[in-house]
Amino acid sequence: MGGPSAGWTAVPRDWFASFGEIVKFIWGVLKQILDLRVFKFSGEVLRQAGLIIMSSALVIWVLVFVVGLQCGIEGAYFSRAVGAPANAGTFAALCNLRELVPYAFGWMMAAKVGTGIVAELGSMRISDEIDALEVMGIDSITFLCATKLLASWLTLPFLYVMAVGAGFFASYLAVVEQIGEVSSGGYFLLFWMFQNPPDLLFSLAKAMAMATIIVLVGCYYGYNASGGPVGVGTATAKSMVLNLVMVHLIGMLGTQVFWGGNARAPIGG
Amino acid sequence: MPEEPRDPNAPQRPDLPAWPPSWAMSDSPQSPSGPAEEPAQPAAAEPAPEPAAAEPAPAEPAPWAAPATPEPVAGEPAPAADEPAWAPEWTTPEPAAAAEPVGYANEPETVPPHEAPTSQYEAVPPVAAAGAAGAAAASSASEPPAEEPPRVSVVNEPEEHADEEYRYHNSPKRSAGVPNAIEFVDVHKAFGRNEILKGLNMGIPEDKISMILGPSGTGKSVCIKHMVGLLYPDQGDVIVHGESVPNMTDDELFDMRKRFGVLFQDGALFGSMNLEDNVAFPLRQHTDKGEEEIREIVQRRLAEVGLSGSWDKMPNELSGGMRKRAGFARALVLDPDIVLFDEPDSGLDPVRTALLCELIEEIHQENGGAYVVITHDILSAKRVAEHISVLWRGRIVESGPAEELFNSDNPFVRQFLSGESQGPLGME
Repeated sequence: MGGPSAGWTAVPRDWFASFGEIVKFIWGVLKQILDLRVFKFSGEVLRQAGLIIMSSALVIWVLVFVVGLQCGIEGAYFSRAVGAPANAGTFAALCNLRELVPYAFGWMMAAKVGTGIVAELGSMRISDEIDALEVMGIDSITFLCATKLLASWLTLPFLYVMAVGAGFFASYLAVVEQIGEVSSGGYFLLFWMFQNPPDLLFSLAKAMAMATIIVLVGCYYGYNASGGPVGVGTATAKSMVLNLVMVHLIGMLGTQVFWGGNARAPIGG
Repeated sequence: MPEEPRDPNAPQRPDLPAWPPSWAMSDSPQSPSGPAEEPAQPAAAEPAPEPAAAEPAPAEPAPWAAPATPEPVAGEPAPAADEPAWAPEWTTPEPAAAAEPVGYANEPETVPPHEAPTSQYEAVPPVAAAGAAGAAAASSASEPPAEEPPRVSVVNEPEEHADEEYRYHNSPKRSAGVPNAIEFVDVHKAFGRNEILKGLNMGIPEDKISMILGPSGTGKSVCIKHMVGLLYPDQGDVIVHGESVPNMTDDELFDMRKRFGVLFQDGALFGSMNLEDNVAFPLRQHTDKGEEEIREIVQRRLAEVGLSGSWDKMPNELSGGMRKRAGFARALVLDPDIVLFDEPDSGLDPVRTALLCELIEEIHQENGGAYVVITHDILSAKRVAEHISVLWRGRIVESGPAEELFNSDNPFVRQFLSGESQGPLGME
């Protein structure tokens, strides 16, 4: 059965099969939210929201703060090199809001929240806890996955906006307080000129798309884990790879869609 | 095979000739049973110096050899005619079977060479053995081999023919005299190419403690998952209280599951909750009871299983036995009609297993309902089972009231319930 062609088509076929399974699973989770069934477990939604805030907020903000510092330092030295040190604010605005804060948010979500979900659901799966939920008459997809997704939708926008603020503050510190080539007023003049509220919404859209995919991919790999502790480890690694790919794909597509045709900045008149 | 030193005080087996046989003892002129007086002697008894002469001459009948066509003895069954074909050729005869036919005695040529000294005795047909018994028992000079426990080869088991797979599955499926809470109707289930259930027909009687017994890997846990709709049959039907599980909608299925309590192998407690929250979980999800009432019920259930002092502990702070008991309390908290136990004895020491069995019995007496215990522990079965179904190769070998199963004459059931290594069940 099968010849050489069957050999080389086997891998893409498996990819398509896995992709189909993931899409089917994602639809199953989204349906629980759209049908409002998830509100049967509103207590669990709140618990998950609390867990996200308590366990992930600080680490995301710290990472974004560090990235904001880097944006500020690089922008300050580059703008000074071309004889326009006040444009450090321009660089900080574009670098933070449009690119690096969404990426840093996505990376940390994948590393902290995504892998946490896979490990939690995977260990529940191999210790029969998911089966135990089912035999108690509780829809495990709703209870375990839909609640996590809704909790992330409820908490992450605020968490992200706070992260953007942390990035902005770090860039200000680097440009104005540390390097000091430009005054506070001069920095903020160009900083606010090169961004507006829709940019914040677009940035938020990128981040929330990343977060949604990360939670769903984590749920898929954790819920379907098998093969004991090794299987859970493998599922965690797979989910991390897919999440990082998806984070960068969403980052690139978001930039193309939101700013690819229109810079939305006072550049070139 | 090197010979083991023989105990001179070992009891004499009346069905066997004396050891060593005369051909093997060049300085022993005769065996007590007398065949050494017969004219045909092995060459080893001759003073010939050639080493090759140490082998008995194959053309001449050995003094201990069986007659070619043994005469049937009145009152004794014909040798080996109706013995099951599964008996491995290299098995040793049972010590208590002195006067019984030994079926595998007819197949000495397939005995592995390393077992040759033992196989000599197997070559003695019952009649010859009976004839030799008196003389052998009268002798104290030469002793038979010390009795060794029966041995089974686990590496060279004979291949079984496909059409013989179910030859032991012909025992009656006796009714328990009460309606069935759960029924399996011709259920087939495969995982990939591995077919686990192969036309399973089984009934679980109402209001009794039923046990599904069987070797590892025969589909016992798969049965439980079919009962609660975690798995669906590829073919056939599973009926719970008259309703077909595979044909239920999701909502009907979740409603049906509320009538079940399931104790998983390791308790399956939620790791993120303490014991009290674990046991309270089904009540909080499925009832409108107030927190005070829930706490009262939980405390009562925890007290029943002896864990009232551990209500605030997390599952990882509990021993295996405590986790099982906590899982039991959680399984009972909604007063289910059917309680399923998936190997409640696994990983427990015999005393804890006995205590858990007593607990199951007590709580069943208190609450009633159909209890289904999946196990391969025979002691547990003897302790609590009222109804037993023996599962092997995806089908029921025999089922019925426990006391009838323990007196079954089905070779597989007999072997499994006595825990013997000899019988139809091997390591495959």
